[in-house]
Amino acid sequence: MRSALVLRRLPALVLVLLIVPAGPARSQGVRKRRPLPAEYGRVVMDNASTRNNVAPVVFDHWTHRMKYTCRVCHVDVGFAMQANETRVHEEDNRKGFFCGACHNGKIAFGPRHDATGGDDPSCERCHSLGKRPAAPELARLTEGFPRGRFGNGIDWEAAELQKKIRPANSLPGVSIQRKPLEIPKDYDIEAKVATLPEIIFSHQKHAVWGGCELCHPDIFTVKRGATKFTMEEIFKGRYCGACHGTVAFPTTDCQRCHTKPVVAAG
Amino acid sequence: MKRVGLAFGLLLAAAGAFAGAAAPDPPPYQPAQPWFKLPEHPPAEVFGNLLINRSAPSARVKPVVFSHWSHRLRYTCRVCHLELDFALKRNGTGITEEANRGGAYCGACHDGKTAFGHTEANCARCHTGEIRSAGEGFGRLAGLPPAKFGNGVDWSAALASGRITPADTLSPGQKRMTIDRTVSLDAEWAMVPPAVFSHADHTRWLDCANCHPAVFNIKKKTTQHFSMKAILAGEFCGACHLNVAFPLDDCRRCHPKMKGF
Repeated sequence: MRSALVLRRLPALVLVLLIVPAGPARSQGVRKRRPLPAEYGRVVMDNASTRNNVAPVVFDHWTHRMKYTCRVCHVDVGFAMQANETRVHEEDNRKGFFCGACHNGKIAFGPRHDATGGDDPSCERCHSLGKRPAAPELARLTEGFPRGRFGNGIDWEAAELQKKIRPANSLPGVSIQRKPLEIPKDYDIEAKVATLPEIIFSHQKHAVWGGCELCHPDIFTVKRGATKFTMEEIFKGRYCGACHGTVAFPTTDCQRCHTKPVVAAG
Repeated sequence: MKRVGLAFGLLLAAAGAFAGAAAPDPPPYQPAQPWFKLPEHPPAEVFGNLLINRSAPSARVKPVVFSHWSHRLRYTCRVCHLELDFALKRNGTGITEEANRGGAYCGACHDGKTAFGHTEANCARCHTGEIRSAGEGFGRLAGLPPAKFGNGVDWSAALASGRITPADTLSPGQKRMTIDRTVSLDAEWAMVPPAVFSHADHTRWLDCANCHPAVFNIKKKTTQHFSMKAILAGEFCGACHLNVAFPLDDCRRCHPKMKGF
């Protein structure tokens, strides 16, 4: 009987063997589709949703960054930087952790019933994958904002400077109010490839959104020059790429960092 | 159990036969045949033209004719392929009439101010359904540096010498990225001289992000499968140098030491 089973499955096995030696699919040589402006920074969270027969959560960074700086969620509330790494649970949210720090029916909309209670239309506002448009229309809510070339099509840095948005940097009951620390000066980072414009890194611009703790010491150590990183690693999502590539303006915007022309020698 | 053994024998034979077939054969020497089957090219005034046919049939409008040569006189590649996010594959971009009217894609320029707008009177200027129809005004290119293939124009020389002055960006104050670095790429075949790649020639048209890291990895000598065969399939250099930038027929423009071509 077992041999008959093997024979019946033979075509499938041969097929598998024929496919495997062809090696992994190519991931280079052609250009990839870029996310549309409203999709940029979108995260699908499916920690427990599918398992519990609920649609996964669609989270858009742009709707949230209009109201809060990055560090409120990623430092004070404690969200990880990788989708599904935080292991958010319904129960935690209802107790005021994670999403529930704001989505409690007071600061932002929250669940209307307890976990066992009947139909709750507010569930689908977040558990929305495949159910409804994930977010309110980007164009309508960002009308008159300074335009950016990539990402959401919005220059968020300029939007904050021009006070089109006033993101809060703390959350009552969660954040601890302290005096801001002194912000180090801007400095140059030399590009590794000769003739490529140098990078000007501004602590000031980053501290508005991230404070100190979002980057130091995990992503970048604090000793000057001690963190060695390359563009390859950034493209893979490390160092600057932890934010710039999926949420903050993407690495397609070369000149926003490589901004200092190289002075010709001699 | 015998049958099980037979089944595994068959499997091994099949795998062996496949492994044999998968090993890359050296290209057979056929003097009467060209080494590569290069795509056939249309006449010079049609080279680089596209018939964009994404949603036009369902909307009962004729497909759009787009000519690269008429646009590159005014804008470098990066303006449309980076800033406006046009894909490198025909019909690969989600262009809609609505998006155009909202200032995206074609509508970024075709707004009635920078270029003719999306009005009823202008529909038929793009929605012609005929790939040859964008040949109007091709005579304007007559004085530009000549080339053997493509549009018959050496666009790179035309730009470097300032004979054409296409805009680099639609964003005021944006500067173009520059890098002056020439790379010598060894050919896979013996007797074929290396390809010489100039970053400076490319950055006059393109931004780093047009090619890196999706089309070409940035780590030295780690771009896999980078062969003429892949290029002919539209990957790597072939993303542009098949149908839009000077075609592969011009061997010596990349392999400058190649003889007899």
